[in-house]
Amino acid sequence: MKTITFNQKKTSAIALEFDELRPDDIYTWEKADFDNYGVPIGNSRFPLTDYFDIEIEGEAESPDDVKMILNGDMGRVKYIGCKMSGGEIICNGDADIHVGAEMTGGKIFVNGNVETFAGREMAGGYLEISGNTKEFCGASYMGEWRGMTGGEILVRGNAGKQCGECLSGGKITVLGNCDILAGIHMAKGLIEIHGDVNRWPGGQMKNGNIVVHGKLGRLLEGFVLDEVVTNPEIDGKSFEGKFIKYTGDIGLNGKGSLYLDAIANRDKLGEYGEHDDEYTSIREYRNL
Amino acid sequence: MEYILKNGIVFDPTNNVKGEKKDVMFKDGKIVEQVSDDAKVLDVTDKLVMPAGIDPHAHIAGPKLVVGRMYRPEDSRRGATQKTSVIRGESGFSIPSCPATGYRYSRMGYGTVVEAAMPPLEGKHTHEEICAIPNIDVPALPLFGNNWFVFEFAKENKIDELAAFISSWLKITKGYGVKIVNPCGSEAWGWGKNVHGFDDKPPYFDVTSREVVKALAKANEKLGLPHSIHIHPNDLGHPGNVPTTLETLDSIKDVKKNAGVRDQTIHCCHLQFHAYQGNSWKDASSGAEEIAKYINSTDHVTCDVGQVTLDETTTMTADAPMEYDLYKLSGLKWVNKDIEFETAAGIIPVIYSAKSPVNTLQWAIGLELFLHIDDPWKVCLTTDHPNAGPFQRYPRIMSWLMSNTRRMEMIENGEVHKWVNSRTTLPTIDREYDFNDIAIISRAAPAKIYGFEDRGALTPGYNADIAVYDIKPNEIDPSKEYEAIEKGFSLTDYTIKDGKILVKDKEIVQVKKSRTIWTNVMGLEKEEQAVIDGIMPFFNQYYSVKWENYPVHDHYLSDPIRVDVQASK
Repeated sequence: MKTITFNQKKTSAIALEFDELRPDDIYTWEKADFDNYGVPIGNSRFPLTDYFDIEIEGEAESPDDVKMILNGDMGRVKYIGCKMSGGEIICNGDADIHVGAEMTGGKIFVNGNVETFAGREMAGGYLEISGNTKEFCGASYMGEWRGMTGGEILVRGNAGKQCGECLSGGKITVLGNCDILAGIHMAKGLIEIHGDVNRWPGGQMKNGNIVVHGKLGRLLEGFVLDEVVTNPEIDGKSFEGKFIKYTGDIGLNGKGSLYLDAIANRDKLGEYGEHDDEYTSIREYRNL
Repeated sequence: MEYILKNGIVFDPTNNVKGEKKDVMFKDGKIVEQVSDDAKVLDVTDKLVMPAGIDPHAHIAGPKLVVGRMYRPEDSRRGATQKTSVIRGESGFSIPSCPATGYRYSRMGYGTVVEAAMPPLEGKHTHEEICAIPNIDVPALPLFGNNWFVFEFAKENKIDELAAFISSWLKITKGYGVKIVNPCGSEAWGWGKNVHGFDDKPPYFDVTSREVVKALAKANEKLGLPHSIHIHPNDLGHPGNVPTTLETLDSIKDVKKNAGVRDQTIHCCHLQFHAYQGNSWKDASSGAEEIAKYINSTDHVTCDVGQVTLDETTTMTADAPMEYDLYKLSGLKWVNKDIEFETAAGIIPVIYSAKSPVNTLQWAIGLELFLHIDDPWKVCLTTDHPNAGPFQRYPRIMSWLMSNTRRMEMIENGEVHKWVNSRTTLPTIDREYDFNDIAIISRAAPAKIYGFEDRGALTPGYNADIAVYDIKPNEIDPSKEYEAIEKGFSLTDYTIKDGKILVKDKEIVQVKKSRTIWTNVMGLEKEEQAVIDGIMPFFNQYYSVKWENYPVHDHYLSDPIRVDVQASK
């Protein structure tokens, strides 16, 4: 195991770009290689050692043997672990955009908050964020209709807008709250939100599953009430409790499923059960 | 400045040079027979020397490209490079940015690329984009197949008026020749419809595709334009479109040719998309053999193939109803535009996958056409960039054509779908192209088909457009070393354009302004004015734009080359 520690010396107003400092690139690097390396900042390169003290311990034979530890405020460091395929990155501090974007393997732990596009288009591996993250967590980039295709993201705080946009596989778990349009355009995979959701999860979804344990603000009109299920198994994982299951988005003939916690969202049943005999059994749940 | 390319193995089909070891000399931008002792020697001993390539059909400039780039930023991300001291940054894979288009063609040894669809009303914009593409010469073909005035002239068989109309619109749009896309179909798309077959009519016009194509061919030959009509027939991409294609080609057989250089009276583009048998995709099969048989038996037809390269790409064509069909099939994001011009256009991303039976069929049909058409002078190498694949894949197609081993490997190893065995004749063909055939389909034939008299050959007096590849033809076995062929054709040792060395040792060392080539018909000025005066009342009543919006003024042109043609009256 090779441990490479980056101790921050100073911050930069213009963001540093770390996409050339993946475990895949640096597992063979010695101290001199870091000393000679110019990190991209804006349209130029500057010595990495102006910004970080580098400590290296141990040897690595493959990227999987690398542990990168970033100490300091990485709020202006972009592309941490972008396109990495193995190894481990621990970031002790906030991180800028594109953390773990397009990664195919390995693990990233961020002990802090992360800006937008965390885990964008990732295909494998594990990304954990202890704080909050902003928009487009696990989403696709501009124009792309294939988002995250594999791997797992765990956000311990809140996630911003359009979390899991165009999700095409993999799993996103948000322990906090989620802003609007989680799982918009999604085609496959699972988004689990433990907190409350602002509005409109699953807009234009074609397939896949969204589970909301908290309260949903407003549902999109494209979702049709399906049934109330108890202890469902979704995407190979079993969930405890009663859930209201919706299918959508019918505007696109979508076959996605949206599960809302039945107790937190009992008001939703009232809206639907009132005038429709088909949902007699559902009406019974209104008084949960 | 004088140069001498020493000891290369030269393939120059126009001058019947087939792999001779000889020197090629050029001076002040032109090929010459002799140079003085002061000439700079470029040693290319035993390397492959050809005239610079000519792409007879690609979509590289125009409004479709701009919209394509805007709505596919995910494509722009692919192939992004940083700028250097010589070149600008590049971006894009299937729809590269303008500079990237020029650089990539140069690196492959190409010098001239025809922009195959210019909406007349967007002529200005097309030429602006040609200005932004470096290193290559770009003639553009304006669209005539769905023009209301063309419909009227064709219906009444007024060939003289139609000829004057074409001549004036070539001047207005600074176009090179007559392009026809899905005749009557794109007009029908304005009403949400399409035409089917060669004898269908668009709504509100009592004219068939057959009448439009015949009239345009007659007018084209009456003017004696350097290029014949350039047609994208009806029913593109529909299973069972072989009869429509054959009827289209056959309808022109009686039209008499009136031009010096070329032999054909009709050039059919991306023929691969027009060679499907069957009633639906479930029972579709290859019609390549039947079409190739027809082309082998006649002299008035040439074609380019539109070879599918099995990549993710973007389709963009003036055949908007076909793009709508594709959208319904794939459900991917779709653009529908240019509906109220004299054309229509659609754009949609496409993923050609070797695992897909239909895409494999398309891939095989393209190769079948190359291999079944006996005379390489009748067929050109294209991917209908970007519709069947990006132009950067030409070297790969060359390697497929030169290596039966590679084709059989793909078929036998299951790299492509098994439909290739049951629905095409590709596994039964063992023909392999040689370097001379490759030089014909990628330079000499396109030059002849377009009537170019200044490029496509190493004739003294011609432009010094030369490509030198890092391939030693006398040492390599293309059948076995197909990977080396692909690599060798991808990056030149030298690309020389108008005597300027643009690429040296696989790197771009110089950037040159592009030039546009347009056709100026002389001797019909009075007739042109009479036709324009004649259509003006109708134009003013029904068009929502002004006539003054059309003309492409000289300052829009990038260092133009004017081809003067004396109209025969």
